[in-house]
Amino acid sequence: MSGAGTDTPSPAQGQRGSSGYQQGRTGPQRGGSSLVGDGTNRLLFAALLREEWRLHTQLFGGGRFLSFPLLIAVLAAGATVALVETGTAASTVVLGLHVLALGFGLYSGTAGFAGSSMLENVFGGLSLVLGTAATLPLSRRRLLGIFLVKDALFYAVVFVLPMATAAIPLEGVSATTPVDVATLWLSLSLVFAAGMTVTVALIALRTRGVPTWTLLALVAVVALVSGVLGSASATLAAAQTLVVPQSASLPAGAGLAGATALVAAASLAVYDPTYGKPTRTAADQFARLRRLGDTVPGATGVNDPLVVKTLLDLSRSAGGVWKPFVSAGILLALVAALVGVVHEITGIEPAPGIFFGGVLGLSAFTTYNWLTQFDALESYLAYPVTIADVFRAKRTAFVLVGAPAVAVPYLAAVLWFEAALIDALVGALLLAGFGLYYYGLTVYIAGFDPNEFLFDSVRFGLFTVGAAVALVPALVAGFVVVPPTLDIALALAGIGIGFGAIGAVLSSRAGPKWDAEYRHE
Amino acid sequence: MGVLRVDELRKSYGDVRAVDGMSLDVERGELFGFLGPNGAGKTTTIRSLTGQIVPDEGTIDVLGTDPTTAPIETRTRVGILPEQATPPSFLTPREYLEFVGDVRDLDKETVADGIDRWAERLGFGSKLETLHTDLSRGQQQKVMIAQAFIHEPELVLIDEPLANLDPLVQEQVKQFLTSYAAADNAVFVSTHNIDVAADICTRVGIVADGKIVAERSIADETSDDLLETFLNHVDDANARDLPSLERDAIQT
Repeated sequence: MSGAGTDTPSPAQGQRGSSGYQQGRTGPQRGGSSLVGDGTNRLLFAALLREEWRLHTQLFGGGRFLSFPLLIAVLAAGATVALVETGTAASTVVLGLHVLALGFGLYSGTAGFAGSSMLENVFGGLSLVLGTAATLPLSRRRLLGIFLVKDALFYAVVFVLPMATAAIPLEGVSATTPVDVATLWLSLSLVFAAGMTVTVALIALRTRGVPTWTLLALVAVVALVSGVLGSASATLAAAQTLVVPQSASLPAGAGLAGATALVAAASLAVYDPTYGKPTRTAADQFARLRRLGDTVPGATGVNDPLVVKTLLDLSRSAGGVWKPFVSAGILLALVAALVGVVHEITGIEPAPGIFFGGVLGLSAFTTYNWLTQFDALESYLAYPVTIADVFRAKRTAFVLVGAPAVAVPYLAAVLWFEAALIDALVGALLLAGFGLYYYGLTVYIAGFDPNEFLFDSVRFGLFTVGAAVALVPALVAGFVVVPPTLDIALALAGIGIGFGAIGAVLSSRAGPKWDAEYRHE
Repeated sequence: MGVLRVDELRKSYGDVRAVDGMSLDVERGELFGFLGPNGAGKTTTIRSLTGQIVPDEGTIDVLGTDPTTAPIETRTRVGILPEQATPPSFLTPREYLEFVGDVRDLDKETVADGIDRWAERLGFGSKLETLHTDLSRGQQQKVMIAQAFIHEPELVLIDEPLANLDPLVQEQVKQFLTSYAAADNAVFVSTHNIDVAADICTRVGIVADGKIVAERSIADETSDDLLETFLNHVDDANARDLPSLERDAIQT
């Protein structure tokens, strides 16, 4: 950890002069400011911001990227109108928006840390400026700090601000509308920044040898102990402040902002830029799995080397094979919370099988995302395989991983909410059919890069509309007919099978489609 | 006997003509150098030769196969060492080479022998159980070289063969490529390194603006001759950008 010691800014230095070497530099200056002075911070910030902008406009085209915030605004406002009109309380909508912002913040916090195996692949060498720590007398910690500030501001404007347009249908159009939107924006941005900071803190501690799971366990224990020993209302109020700052008092909100800034600064101080993961070794699992595929009847999938490679990449990357299970579990928790809130407000409890079956299928997107994070389609073109072969292998891997990842939370939901047998059976059909449909939709629209849904308004819009076509009618049915009658159950089962068939067609056509796109570029 | 024949190949990306009338032949026993500055059209040509992209015009014959219409047949017959860095992979070198052998439908004994032989030849035997993503870039390049040759193809297409390798292994790889081509095979090496081309190739095609602008048999050329030929044929802008230090060296 020797590098960390010299890289830690002293209170007097703040973000200035981050190493002994740099402090001694008094060479040529730009406009009178030293190389490591505030002028450089501004220069770096501007360069990183310009790089971020060009990254997105180059990837998706200026028009498609610029229209993305508009699409988010339309979706946020439209969904709010629909939810309010169907009886959802305004506070529930606000809570949902904040949970989304928090989740996005938690995810975005990893962006500056190229050490994460997933992000190495996603961002790769895209950030030239971030890499200058290796070639210029600039500390990586300082660059990282500016990078994260840039990310927070960039996403607060491009992603969070459009979400805040939900305030318009919530509060109605009046003279105070700009203030309403601004208040919601600030509140969402604060939660987003808090989410980013939590992730940054966890990663910073990990660079000091503290395993992530112990930190998460600590958070769980603190929450449990405060819930058991402390006042339930005080715990709830603290959680409310954390998740929805605008509903808390001004001092509480300011306290959250201050705590976020403090933890962010402390995290950067703790972060060890010299941290490197230990070199890992592994026994020959490839041959073992292939033998399994050759000798065990019905071991479909592991007789294909492309499938085995995908499964090994997934299981050995950070988080292991449990990543899709965690994603599906988070979705289950969100939907269960939503069901509880809706039941509390309206007295209506949906048919759990239909409701959870329809919604949990959406985890197909995250599962497929995990399966494509650790390779690139182009890399397969050195071998005698077609692009269609690669997509076929991904589909097999998706079924092998996605089926249990989604079946476990579904079974938990139907047992917990005591679903009727017919409801549970129809829900299972919807889950399978919709899961395959969402998978096919994702693969057909986004190919090997489902992450590109972010900030590409056309693809994002297509996926949203495609998902809504299946999901909305099923959810409405789940709320209206509880438990489903035999006729409704049969109709929904048919819908599930139908969408599953569409998904199968879309996923099988994705190979030829993307083959043509790549080979005729 | 020709193993590779390209005739009037053309490929554009929008308004940019990446390959513009490329024609070349490679014979058995040759180590052909495809020498050109960055952006001359080398990678686009290799991607066309291996069926990764479809050219706009022209014909290609690779070991009697047409990569445009039968890319899998072509890629089965040849070995490919691509230019782009390998994305992070969590397989070990042993598993990765088993994967390549499996995809290429090689029998297990051949693959096992190949792994041992290549690990010893390139010096990554102690890293066979280390995850590929945790290897140094030089070690990763060694594994990638091994995968290109593990099925002992008659033709190997290589983009920058010596990238990231230490001098000792560079020398070993150079000797191996020379002997491999001499054993009635052919090696097609794309590079912008004049010294590499002069050192190992039997014949060099100089690429500029998407086509071969000059061909030289290395037996008749010194490294300096080749550099002069190169500078005389690439366009002015590229010549200015490129090896100014080397030009200075010639002048002195």
